[in-house]
Amino acid sequence: MDSLGLYVLAAAVLFGVGVYGLIVAEHLMRKLFAINIMGNAIFILLVAASGPIQGSPDPVPQALVLTGIVIAVSATAFALALMVRLYQETGQATLSSRDDGDDG
Amino acid sequence: MTLFLLDGLIVVGLVTLAYQAVSSRSLFRGIIHFVVFGLTMALAWARVGAPDLAMAEAAIGAGLTGALMLVAYRRLVEGRSDSPADPAPAQSRLALPIAIGSGLLVGVIGLSALFSEVEPAQAGQAVLSELQQVDLGNPITAVLLLYRGLDTLLEVAVLLTAFLAARAVAGADGGEGSATTPAPETPMVGALLAVVIPLTVLVAIHLLRAGSYEPGGAFQGGAVLAGAGVLLILSGRIAATPVAGPLIRMGLLAGLVSFMLIGLVPLLKGSPLLALPGLWAVYFIETAMMLSIAITLILLFAGGGGLKRGRNG
Repeated sequence: MDSLGLYVLAAAVLFGVGVYGLIVAEHLMRKLFAINIMGNAIFILLVAASGPIQGSPDPVPQALVLTGIVIAVSATAFALALMVRLYQETGQATLSSRDDGDDG
Repeated sequence: MTLFLLDGLIVVGLVTLAYQAVSSRSLFRGIIHFVVFGLTMALAWARVGAPDLAMAEAAIGAGLTGALMLVAYRRLVEGRSDSPADPAPAQSRLALPIAIGSGLLVGVIGLSALFSEVEPAQAGQAVLSELQQVDLGNPITAVLLLYRGLDTLLEVAVLLTAFLAARAVAGADGGEGSATTPAPETPMVGALLAVVIPLTVLVAIHLLRAGSYEPGGAFQGGAVLAGAGVLLILSGRIAATPVAGPLIRMGLLAGLVSFMLIGLVPLLKGSPLLALPGLWAVYFIETAMMLSIAITLILLFAGGGGLKRGRNG
């Protein structure tokens, strides 16, 4: 197997880790890490799976991923602002209501 | 063989860091792991052969996302003596099967795309073969501004929207206090800034200029410029204000407005929307976008609507 195949496999494992973190993590910032990791896995997949043209990866998926990186940081910044506001309003940064929110 | 080992190390590092980021015991360690994950991603991009993405990932994905997360973390710990509540992971019997299933799905999609016999990537080949005609050396810049200009236009719009939305949900104290507490001023800080800031601006301009014929471009340049802004905020040279002045507002809008105006002009001459009239338009839009991206990212970090001279300014 060549390097691109290796990175495709890495994308698969990373996506799995991201999904696992998204389900298991309670703190919203950890859920954000997980979403970003899933996004990065898809970015690797897009570039690595498109295969090389003339020795370097296909420029079209590269441009899409470059756009995606900026969109990801925009969405993350907005999500962080939402999380901080939620914390100011409720005193906790989770969405959980398992224990009726009394353990913060 | 050595390179394959290097790839293996990068991949193992990525997976380990990702797992640590979502599961390490303290949230702060999670942030650090996430930032290192971003830097390792930059290495991975370099190894895949995508230096543009490596630069963008190192500056935006690792640097600025990490800075934004640390500022948010600081807002969470502000005014409490203990560390912020970080509840234990939820117990979910379905989490592992779902994660494995979705990982397998991504793997199957990726491997089947990689090893399929379908004629690959005609759009990419068309871009590379027409690169000589449009006089741009960097195919990614060509795709971003000439062939998929609408994506890039909307991306700048999304960045602006995210900033406005973040401002809208910021609490009542948003923009009042600085996001950071500058350390006491020492002579070293001024000397360091006097060297680092001009160099950073120089690097940003170089990245912008280089973007037309080698790796680089508006996004990388803007992110590097935003790094200089973050440094100025951290050292108390500039500080956030609740309301933006006219200069900041113009800077925020420069990229979007100039892209839209220049993109609309071809309609008058019967050409398609966003068919840029020449290379000067590419350079003009890239410069405006770099300024807008830098100012938006700096304001997102500062947590305010505008900027003013800080107390050490």
